[in-house]
Parts: sequence; C-alpha cells; structure tokens
Amino acid sequence: MPAGFSPSELAYLLPEFVLTLGALLVLLADAFLSRDRRGAVIGLSLVVLAATGAALAWVGAPHQTIARGLLSMDAFGLFFKVLVLVAAALTLLMSGPYLAAEAMPAGAYSFLVLAATLGMFFMASGVELITIFIGLETMAVAFYILAGLLKPNPRSNEAAVKYFLLGAFSLGILLYGMSLLYGLTGSTNLGTIAAAVANPAAVGRPLLLVAVILVVAGLAFKIAAVPFHMWAPDVYEGAPTPITAFISVGSKAASFAMLLRIVVLGLPSMAEEWRTLFYVLSVLSMTAGNIAALTQTNLKRMLAYSSIAHAGYLLIGIVAATPRGISAMLIYLAVYTLMQLGAFGILVLMRRGDSAGDEIQDLNGLFQRQPAAAVAMLVFLLSLGGIPPTAGFMGKFWLFGAAVEAGYVWLAVVAVLNSVVSLYYYLRVVVAMWTREPEGLEPRMRPALALTLALALAGTLVLGLYPRPLFDLAETSAKSLGSAVWAPSR
Amino acid sequence: MGWLGLLIMTGLGLGFAVVMILLSSLLGPKNPTPEKLAPYECGMPAVGDARERQSVKFYLVAMVFLLFDIEVAFLYPWAVALRDLGWTGFVQIVTFFLILVVGYIYIWRKGVLDWGPATTSAARAAARAMRERNAA
Amino acid sequence: MLVVIAQIVIILIAFVMLLNVAAIMVWVERKVCALIQQRDGPNRVGPYGLLQPLADIIKLIMKEELRPKSADAILFTLAPIISAVAAFAAFAPVPFGAQTTLFGLLDRPVGLQVADVNVGMLLVFAIASMGVYGIVLAGWASNNKYSLLGALRSSAQMISYELSYGTALAGVVLIAGSLSLREVVDGQAGAWFGVLPKWYLFLQPVGFVIFMIAGIAETNRAPFDFPEAEQELVAGYFTEYSSMRFAIFYMAEYINMATVSAMATTLFLGGWHGPFIPAEYGWIWFLIKVSFLLFFYVWVRWTLPRYRYDQLMQFGWKWLLPLSVINLLVTAAGVLYING
Repeated sequence: MPAGFSPSELAYLLPEFVLTLGALLVLLADAFLSRDRRGAVIGLSLVVLAATGAALAWVGAPHQTIARGLLSMDAFGLFFKVLVLVAAALTLLMSGPYLAAEAMPAGAYSFLVLAATLGMFFMASGVELITIFIGLETMAVAFYILAGLLKPNPRSNEAAVKYFLLGAFSLGILLYGMSLLYGLTGSTNLGTIAAAVANPAAVGRPLLLVAVILVVAGLAFKIAAVPFHMWAPDVYEGAPTPITAFISVGSKAASFAMLLRIVVLGLPSMAEEWRTLFYVLSVLSMTAGNIAALTQTNLKRMLAYSSIAHAGYLLIGIVAATPRGISAMLIYLAVYTLMQLGAFGILVLMRRGDSAGDEIQDLNGLFQRQPAAAVAMLVFLLSLGGIPPTAGFMGKFWLFGAAVEAGYVWLAVVAVLNSVVSLYYYLRVVVAMWTREPEGLEPRMRPALALTLALALAGTLVLGLYPRPLFDLAETSAKSLGSAVWAPSR
Repeated sequence: MGWLGLLIMTGLGLGFAVVMILLSSLLGPKNPTPEKLAPYECGMPAVGDARERQSVKFYLVAMVFLLFDIEVAFLYPWAVALRDLGWTGFVQIVTFFLILVVGYIYIWRKGVLDWGPATTSAARAAARAMRERNAA
Repeated sequence: MLVVIAQIVIILIAFVMLLNVAAIMVWVERKVCALIQQRDGPNRVGPYGLLQPLADIIKLIMKEELRPKSADAILFTLAPIISAVAAFAAFAPVPFGAQTTLFGLLDRPVGLQVADVNVGMLLVFAIASMGVYGIVLAGWASNNKYSLLGALRSSAQMISYELSYGTALAGVVLIAGSLSLREVVDGQAGAWFGVLPKWYLFLQPVGFVIFMIAGIAETNRAPFDFPEAEQELVAGYFTEYSSMRFAIFYMAEYINMATVSAMATTLFLGGWHGPFIPAEYGWIWFLIKVSFLLFFYVWVRWTLPRYRYDQLMQFGWKWLLPLSVINLLVTAAGVLYING
C-alpha cells in the first residue's frame, strides 16, 4: 500500500482513532447542543477518554514499530499514554464546577483538552522527529487557546499571548536543532540518527553539539526548566485553573517522554554532553524554582515555581540515565501528576463568587469550613514536599537514590537541600488553612470535584504506602525504551 | 520557453507599470493644495485616522481561509497522483475531508460565516451572551 | 537561434495583446453598456468611437498625480505596480496556440505560450492570488476610510472565492492527470461520436459554472464588485488614486478578466482546439472563445444588480464551497471507476 500502513498496523492505533473521533464528536455535540449543557459535553468527553483507555488496554504494549518506523508501540509509550489519559480525565472532572463558576461554555474547552491529549499520545510514542514535532504542535496549539479561554479576563489573555509567543519561539529553536540533526545524519528517525551519531568520524562534532544544545534548549522551554521558565508563572496564573493543572502535569509528562526519546534513544553517544547540560539545568531549576516560590503570595504562582523546581528534580533521572534513573523519573512523574492535580483541585474549590481564590490568604481557615478538603490539601502539599508516608516521598527517595547510585552524589545533596527549603512554603499554606480566621464566601464542594480530590488523594496515599506495582511498571517501561546509553553502566 | 518566459513577462509588466507612472509624473501638472492632499470623504473634512480597528469578521475569515486553503494546496498533488493511488487514495482524501467537514459544520453553527444577522441558534446564543457580558 | 528569437517574439506578442485587451475592453464595456441601455456610447473619437481608449490614456497621462499627505508614499506607489505585475505574470503559463514551426522556418516546433512549465495551473492560481496584495496595500497606504474598507472587503471576498476557484481547478486536474496547461488542452482534442467536441466542459459542467462564478468574484466584477461599490465606497480601494496609477489598476482588472477567460477556455472549452480551422491556426479559435467569455463578463455586469455583502459571503462559503468539494469527490470517484 502506498501510504505505508498495513491494516494490521492500523489496529495498534485504535486508541488514537477513538480519541480523534471522540474529539470530533464532542465538537459536533457542542455545535448542536445549547450553550448551557456543560455537563453533557464534559460527560461525553469523559466517555471518550474512558473508551480511549479501554482501547489502550486492548492494544497494550505490542512492542512493535509501526507506520514505517514513525511510532513505537512499546511499554514506555503506554506508560505515558495512561498517565496523560488519567491527567486529562481528572482535569475534565474538576472542570465542570470551574466552568460553571466562570460561566464558560464547555464545548471548545473539552475539545481542546482532548486534542491536547491526542498530541501527547503522539509525543509519547513517536520515534521520529517530525512525528514527535507534530504531536508537540498539536498539544501546544491547543494549550495556547485553552490558556486564553477566560476571554473577559485580561490576565488570561496575557497568559495566552505570552505562552503563544514564547512557545512559538521555543518550537522554532527545537525545530532548528532538529533540522541540524537531520542535516548531519540524513534521517529524522531516532534509531538511524543514533547509528549515524555513533560514528564520530562521519558527523561534524562541533555542529552536532550545537544541534544537541538547541534541541535541549527547545525541550527545556516545554518542561519549564530554568533558565527557560519565564513563561510558566504568568501562564499558570492567568490560565483557567484546571488548564493550569493540565499544563503543569500533562504537558510536562509528555515533554519528558519526548525528551527521553530524543536524547536517550536518538543521541546515546552524546551522553556526556547532554548529561552536563541537564546537570546544570537541574541544579538551576531546583534552586531558582524553590527560592522564587518562597516569596509568592499567590498560590497559583507558588505552584508554578514549585513545578519548575519539580522539573529540576525530574531532570536528575535523566542525568543519571540508568534504567533505574529513568524508571525513577517515570515513578515521580506519575506521583507528581496526582499530587499536583489534587492541589489544583483545591484551587478550583476556592473559586467562589467574585473571588478568584488563588491567593494563599483565600485558604485562611479552610479547616473550619471544609475539614476534608483541608486534610486533602495537607496530604498533597506534604507529598509535594516529599514527606513520608506520601507518594512524593517514595518518588523522591527513588529518584535521589538513582542519582547516588549513578555517582552524582552532589546532585542528590543539592536536591535534598532544596526539598527542605520547599517545605517552608508548602507549610505556609498549611498554617493559613489551620490557624487563620476564615473570610469571604463559603466554598461549596460539588460531587465532581469531590470525586477528583478523592481519586487524587487515594492515589497519593496508596502509591506512598504500596508503591510496588508502580515500581514494576515503571521499570518495565524504562527498559522498553531500549537505549545504548546504559551499556557501559557505572 | 519555461520559467525564463515567466521572468521576461514579469519584467515587461514591471517595466511597463514603472514607465507609465514615471511618464505621467513627468507630464502631469503639479499644483497641490491642502484640500487636494486631504483624504477624500465626499467633501467633508476627514475625521480621525482610517487605520482603526476593523470588524473581527475579516480576521476570522482570514483564519478560516488559511485552513481551507491548505486543503486546496493538498488537493493538487493528490489530484495528479489519483490514478496511481487508486481507491486507497480516495478513501484517504475522504477521511481528510470528513475531519475538515466537522470543523466546517462547527464554524457554520457558531456563526463565523454569518455576515448579516445570525442564522443559527448557537450563533444567536453566542451573540446574546456577548451582549449580556458587555451590559454587565 | 531562430527558435529563441521566435520565442521572444511570441512573448512580445502576448504582452502587446494583453495591453490591447485592456484598451479594447474599455471600449467594449462602454459600447455594450450603451447598447444595453439603448444609448449610442462613445462615438466622437474615431469611427464608432474606436479611438476612445487612446484618448483616455493620453488624458490620464496628462493628469495631475495626487497622493494624500497622510498616505504611505512607498506603498502607495508600489500597490498599482504589484497589481500590474501580477496581472501580466499570471497570463504567462496560459498556452494560446498549438506548437508550430512557422511553416518550416524553425528547426523544432515552439509552443504559442510565454512560459511552458509543468505546473502551469498551480502557477496561474498562485500568481493571480498575488493581485490581492496590490489591492490591500492600496487600501491601507491611502489612509482613507473608503479605501481601507474597500480593500478589506475585497481581500475577504477574494480569499473566500479562491477556495471554490481552486477546488474547481482540481476537478480538471483529476481528469487531465496533469498540472501542465498544454497537456490539459491536448487532452481535449478530438470529438465524441464525431460531433461533440471532447471539452472538459461536458465532463465538468458543475466545475465550469463554479469556476466562472468564482472567477467573476476573483476579478471583483459585477455582480460581485464590492471593493468599488460606488454608492457605498466612492471607488473603494482606488478612491485616492488618480492619473496613471489609477489607470494601471483599471488595466490590471481587465487583464485579470482576460486571464480568467483564457483559463476557462484552456481548462473547459478545449483551448485552441476546434473544428474547421487547421491546428496551425488554432489560436483563432482561442481568440474567439476568449472574446466570447469577455463579452459574457460585460453582459453580466450590465444585466445583474450587485449582491449584498453578507449574501456574497454566505453564497461563497455556504453554497459554492460545499458544492465544489462534492463536485471534486464525485469527479474523483468517476475517474477511478472508469479507469478501473
């Protein structure tokens, strides 16, 4: 067949097909339903996500490269697909109450969330530069629009414009790096690139270094690592809260998947170079993110800086670049997704009346009014800070352990020190919730939001107490990435 | 003659236009007055600048055009190669069109194509919501 | 050597013909308009007023060039030049006659065509859409409200109808299997059952109608002449233009008409092929067909009233575009079915 697909290969793409058709269905439903049927549209989107999940379970991880080497259907990709699917589902679940509070229509919103998820799917399984890039673009464009969807709010407009301009700029840098890679190796396929790069005589080393730096810089924008993080606080603050949550977890997870694929799979023989780059990025992100978070009074901005710091922690795994390091990254990403979404769920709860509810003082006395929510928030914050028995602790423990094992003791020390610093600003929120007098309107817990919080809470606690299954999954996934980097393991 | 012919033709067109404009600026009279140099507004003194904000419709139509123009650009190579692609190619382009049609129905329902009064219930609802928001 | 000279002569002939088309069409337009309105029309300058266009040109050259003080000097001058260049260049790939050796004078045949390129159809489409830059720049540079509004309307209209225009072209590409205009014309040689000429008009009737409607809208002619709707916008995008710059816009409009007519002839009406006249003189058929289409243009203009703008946009987006896409898909299915 001329298009390069055989019918049996099409079956592996079932989840993507379901998601695409479902997203189009949501768009059509929005065009024909009345504007006030938010619940129906969001419900339909959740059904689409559930169907996609079922299709994912049916396809599983056949460990096949399909579509003439464009997509790799392996456990690594599956791990990330499930992760972003869960993130998208929790995001949509908490979106219902938020959209109602903001009087926003749900149609375009749900469609764009699904479109972003579709883009992430291709970022997770793409093993060819252009496929990965198109996935990234699909996701990014959806997020640019989503960030500005609070149309009457100037902050939201600002967020969209900033995100769009810096995003386009970073994509340009990334694309330039990719085109250099293509020019040097004559292929956009990561496997072929790895083989070509492995032969240093054939490829111009200085130019290759430029390509690696450009690619890493472009990707660092997407994961909001210092010094490419400038967009994050403003975008996080301005975007609708559930979207902020989705950007901070989904976009980050998918970008890390892409990052791992490109550098670990495509550039194993440049490992020394990118290790150094990520080492620097990691230390800068952790330190700058945590220090900047200390002074924030706005909870959304604080979580933005905290997510920059988390990008720093996550980069430790890639510096180690051992199977254990990568699997620790996957574990931490899964844990981070749950706790971050939970924390943003509390922010959605605080959106009441005319108050945006994103200042720390808006949480004053939450324990008196909504004790369950306050306890949940406490768990999320402790987990973000890395206190046992939460999942955050297990994730950090495994991640820093991997760094020590790979011989990066100092990196682990910096990371632990940073975690201690971060506790200060997480606990400030706890202090506000417990010791201050409540003010403003009573926050109203809605069933959908309660369900979101309960799921995130359960995940954070269960993964903290019984992490074995997740660890096994992450290890299988990391191994399926199949790289030449860890052949000469230390 | 191939591309060179196109170049010559472009050159001839350019030369003609430039020469004619130069000729008329050489031969024509020149006695400008402030009134002559003001923008023409049917004899009334011009108020304000012309380069103001225009209806958002024009921007919308430009954006929608971009999407559909890419579709048309896609069509040409496909049309030339159709006999080789066979029914597979046909199914592929129909799939492509169906995805595009969903977007088309969406913009139709949302009133992007209405330049006069809104013609769909969704577009009327959107217009009403905007009026209410502006009033508030 | 002779071949090169012959080709350059062909280019010059095409160029001069385009200039003449503009001049003759000014006269035809006024004369036909007068006849339709039961008047005499121009009848003072030369026999039947035939020298009227010449007099117009001389008058326009001698007129004062005005440019509003607040206008953008460079763009204001550049706009008519862009329009003219796009108009001339768009005609270049159109073939107007069969290949000829000029009665054995040349050692190899040359085509009656300015630029014989294998993507001619795409080229005409691409260059013709460049004309919109001239209009938009004119409107913006003038810094006049009427000009800007006319330019915006015009560009919105042109891009809207460009979609149907391009899709209608793709239908012909499907049947011809080529983007080369010469091959498209050669595909239309001969006749079915000895009587019906093998024109694509009979295979693509819907495509032809769409092409003509979109073509009229593309050239901003009545009943789609919104950019210069004189009752609303004075003269639209060239309100501030005078003297030769104005004339060049006017000329570009007529040349664009000629290009659209020539394209319609090439794509749907068999180009230079026709009965009774030997292939060497095929260009006569070409001229006859183009002249008829140009007359049709004028006829339409003085018969139909102008649409309303919202009707124009709705018609383009809600009727013409879906129709052209359906036409294309049906054509594709037909082509595949017949070719098995």
